[in-house]
Amino acid sequence: MDDMAGNKTEQATEIKETPKRHLWNWILCAPALTVLVFAASGPLLIVLVYSFLAPGSFGGITWSFSLEGWFRVFFSRDIFDPEIVSLNTAHLTIFWRSISLSLQTTIICAILGFPTAWFIATRPQHTRNIWLFLITIPFWTNLLIRTFAIQEVIRNQGLINTTLIRFGFIDTPIQMMYTDFAIFLGMAYVFLPLMVLPLYAAMDKLDIRYLEAGYDLYASRWQVLRHIILPLVKPGFIAGSILVFIPSIGAYVTPRLLGGGRSMMLGNLIELQFGQGRNWPLGSALALTMLVLVVGALVLYIRTVNREEEPRHG
Amino acid sequence: MARDFSINRLPGFASVAILTFFLLYLPIFTLVVFSFNEAASMSRWEGFSLKWYEAAFQNRQVRDVSIRSLWLAATAASFATILATLAALGTTRTSKFKGQTMIYALINQPLMVPEIVTGVALLIFFAAIKVQTGYTGMGYLVAAHTAFCIPFAYLPIRARLETMDNTLEIAAADLYAGPIKTFVHITLPLLLPGIFAGLMLGFVISLDAVVITEFVKSAGQDTLPTYMLGQLRRVVTPEMNAIATLFLLLSVLAVTIFFVLSRKRA
Amino acid sequence: MTATQGIGSPATDKGPAIEIEIRNLSKVFGDGPRAFKALDDIQLDIRQGEFFTLLGPSGCGKTTLLRLIAGFEQPSSGLLQINGKAVAGLGPNRRPVNTVFQNYALFPHMTLAENIGFGLKMLGKSRSEVASTTQEMLKLVKMDAMADRKPAQISGGQQQRIALARALAPRPRVLLLDEPLSALDLKLRKEMQVELKRLQLETGITFVFVTHDQEEALTMSDRIAVISGGQVLQMGTPHEIYNFPAERFVADFIGDTNFIDAEIVQYEGDFAQVRLPGGVVREASLPEGFNARVGETVTVVIRPEHASLTERGDLQATVENAVFFGTDTHIHLRLEDQTPFILRRQNTGVSVAPPEAGQHACIAVAEGGIQVLRS
Repeated sequence: MDDMAGNKTEQATEIKETPKRHLWNWILCAPALTVLVFAASGPLLIVLVYSFLAPGSFGGITWSFSLEGWFRVFFSRDIFDPEIVSLNTAHLTIFWRSISLSLQTTIICAILGFPTAWFIATRPQHTRNIWLFLITIPFWTNLLIRTFAIQEVIRNQGLINTTLIRFGFIDTPIQMMYTDFAIFLGMAYVFLPLMVLPLYAAMDKLDIRYLEAGYDLYASRWQVLRHIILPLVKPGFIAGSILVFIPSIGAYVTPRLLGGGRSMMLGNLIELQFGQGRNWPLGSALALTMLVLVVGALVLYIRTVNREEEPRHG
Repeated sequence: MARDFSINRLPGFASVAILTFFLLYLPIFTLVVFSFNEAASMSRWEGFSLKWYEAAFQNRQVRDVSIRSLWLAATAASFATILATLAALGTTRTSKFKGQTMIYALINQPLMVPEIVTGVALLIFFAAIKVQTGYTGMGYLVAAHTAFCIPFAYLPIRARLETMDNTLEIAAADLYAGPIKTFVHITLPLLLPGIFAGLMLGFVISLDAVVITEFVKSAGQDTLPTYMLGQLRRVVTPEMNAIATLFLLLSVLAVTIFFVLSRKRA
Repeated sequence: MTATQGIGSPATDKGPAIEIEIRNLSKVFGDGPRAFKALDDIQLDIRQGEFFTLLGPSGCGKTTLLRLIAGFEQPSSGLLQINGKAVAGLGPNRRPVNTVFQNYALFPHMTLAENIGFGLKMLGKSRSEVASTTQEMLKLVKMDAMADRKPAQISGGQQQRIALARALAPRPRVLLLDEPLSALDLKLRKEMQVELKRLQLETGITFVFVTHDQEEALTMSDRIAVISGGQVLQMGTPHEIYNFPAERFVADFIGDTNFIDAEIVQYEGDFAQVRLPGGVVREASLPEGFNARVGETVTVVIRPEHASLTERGDLQATVENAVFFGTDTHIHLRLEDQTPFILRRQNTGVSVAPPEAGQHACIAVAEGGIQVLRS
């Protein structure tokens, strides 16, 4: 055995494994990151640059620094005397409509989504998957088609109006298309599954024994709902709200089809600057304003989640 | 009330849920039913007919945009799935490393940023490239859709990898398989349902992407959604219902495959 | 893989050849202040063809040692030789060693036969050889009727057999078993213990078995290494480990034990005369290399079954209670200095009445039943 002792030093190799392995991580991620930087993240930086430039006369930009784009997000200048500045009420109305409709959409989705998610979560295992599938189908089917479908229902010659007229409830159709209500209805319709799914996920994890314990300790159904179920599925509510609110703020197709030219949302205002408006810097500034709203909502979400989790860890 | 006490039951919840499901499916159902309507008007039902399907099939423009949509979705989803698979292999089952958070942020960025913002950004960026290079082909749409599909393809693949038992790969190495053989014989077959689910999801997402396409497309590059978006602003005939119904069917099929695959246990 | 017999077995005259030789082996996880030393300067020789067990509580380093031998991890420092060849830096796919995993790690997408044949296929064996060996292995573990099933379609015990067959199929020099029986219920575990022993004898392959179950280790092993805190505390046959534990941890971990303070009166070689509480002087065995001093207070171990109640014994005690176990009765006592003492009495007849609580009792210790611990 003594002859083996000589090998000792030779075997005492320090093997540094980490740096080499992480090189591989980067190599594997590189193709995806390249495409993402080229066709998703990188262009956002160009939007930032464009928002600080002057508009070209037929769209595009001219390469001179200007804060006019950002200025016009909130203010407008008098046509005859550019020195007279007033708040851009048209824009502010659209901002307000975007935020208010998004909040209303989130609230109605929560009101309808909670019982729906509870219903799915309390089905027996084999039927539960069917219900879950039924809620998933609209989630993944084309948003355009679903908006078209709701349009078919609320049009002046649509399902609701023709039915009401046929049974003599009304004589002339109720104008629902091209109103804020139509946008609200459309968004609630297309984004509802986004509320149900995280709520379901939270309820699925809910231990039924908590409810049993609640009833055992003399709670009524209302008290169990209020003191046990709601606090425990709160993370699902928060996640669902953010998932509904963010696409609502960014909505473009739904307000375009159901809101028409009069009821615009932020998305349509942005599009306008790249279409008829031909004011790319303003469009860029508006796009970034939308991004700020979305990121703000996300930050609020992350903060809330962190605050929720803290006491449990502490 | 002779009803037994049930722990799960909350009064009125089932009714609201059924109502919600009803409201969710009523418009879709209406859309499908009226695609079979004899009448050109959609206000009343005048009998069953397949003539709007016939019209749709004979509409050359519809055929063109449908083929373009399918081609684009298949191409973008395939690219996205390959890239997402590599990225998933690079970001799971590893010790934390510097830049990992940035990679996650980049991959998930298309999920966070509103489509209209990405659309505008791509419009600006690609317009500059178009001016510089003169190239106006489908490459822009493929790149934009691929980037947009990556996070969706990434999700199921990553989920699959994370639940995968990595002792299986260790066992393969123990049984004399080298890294490549281990990947081919063990990792890839086990990952396949995830990869396929990612492909389906990417396909559906690409088919669905209307805003980005609207902003990126050059002249004559309409896809089915942008074509429909243009048509829906004008007078709508049941031909649109027929097209939408077929489209719906395709999405449902892809989602069903995804649903079945992602539920399959390792 | 089997061609290099020459270097590894040079010493037919020096007893059985060494299969695995471990010198100064250490393994550190992480670095800086959070570094964790999982294995600390391990010395171990595992002989060819023996059933060797690494025994210790969870987190003691035994699984790390197994993973180093298998090649799943690389040592931080030290020498590791298998069959006389240093294996540092070699991946698991280049070592003549196979593992039976704790959760079996059967490939879920392959049939049982494909699982068993996998290693041979990877070694580039011909199709016919793979098929015949697979068949042979299926027979060996008595699973030949189920060759085409998938792992999910068979029971835990059957999965265990397939995992064994898969690891044995490439005819490794060493089979590593990482707590393979821990997922089985008691009855199945007993069956598999017998089965494992049979397979080991039939194949003649060196088995390195990791467990935290002391009973399993005692019944199956040729030799045991007791590991704690990344170090080998004691190595020996089950008999040596049980009857002559050298350290308090070993004595405590394996079986029930009484620890009593005693004073060394005189010593010679491996034996000493010690004064037990109450003044009786008895002979006790000393652990290997123990540096005894007269007058020193040491801890001695007495196994409960080596003590009995008599009229005039070595120790004076008070009965606290007696617990009936069917085959035997455990009698809990307290010595005069308040040290607790457990005594195991075999129930040879039905009429033997247990002593009553509070009763005074004398304890006699069997010849050779006292062992001094290394302090």
